[in-house]
Amino acid sequence: MPGIDMDRAWDLHPQVSVRPEPFGALLYHFGTRKLSFLKDRRLLAVVQTLKDAPTARDACATAGVPAPDLDRYGAALAALHRSSMLVERTP
Amino acid sequence: MDTTAPENQAHDPADDRTAAELADAESLIEEVSIDGMCGVY
Repeated sequence: MPGIDMDRAWDLHPQVSVRPEPFGALLYHFGTRKLSFLKDRRLLAVVQTLKDAPTARDACATAGVPAPDLDRYGAALAALHRSSMLVERTP
Repeated sequence: MDTTAPENQAHDPADDRTAAELADAESLIEEVSIDGMCGVY
C-alpha cells in the first residue's frame, strides 16, 4: 500500500467539501460521492493547512503534529489520497 | 500423499507494515460511500 510523498505539496480535491465537526470533520467528495470522517481535529488542521504548505510534512508541523505521530498522520493522508480526497499540486 | 507446500506462506515484513499503516489511518479517518443508500438525497 503506497503512502504519499510527505515532501511534496498536496491539497484537497476541488470537488471535496469540508465540514468541521466536534469530533473532527466530515469530508464529502461530490465526484465520487464518498464520505470520509476525520476523527481528529488536528488532522482537520493538517488538511486545511495543506493548500498553503510547501509539503505535507510542513502542513503537519504547522498543525502541531508531534514528530512521533508523523507516520500515523502520513498514513491517514495516504488513505485520503487513495480515496481521491487529496490531490498532488505544484507548490 | 500430497507433499506440496503452499508457496505463499513465507512471512513478508511488508505485510506487517501495511497492516500497521492501515490501522494508523483507520484510527484517524473512516470512509464510507453513500452509493446505493436510499433516502440520502
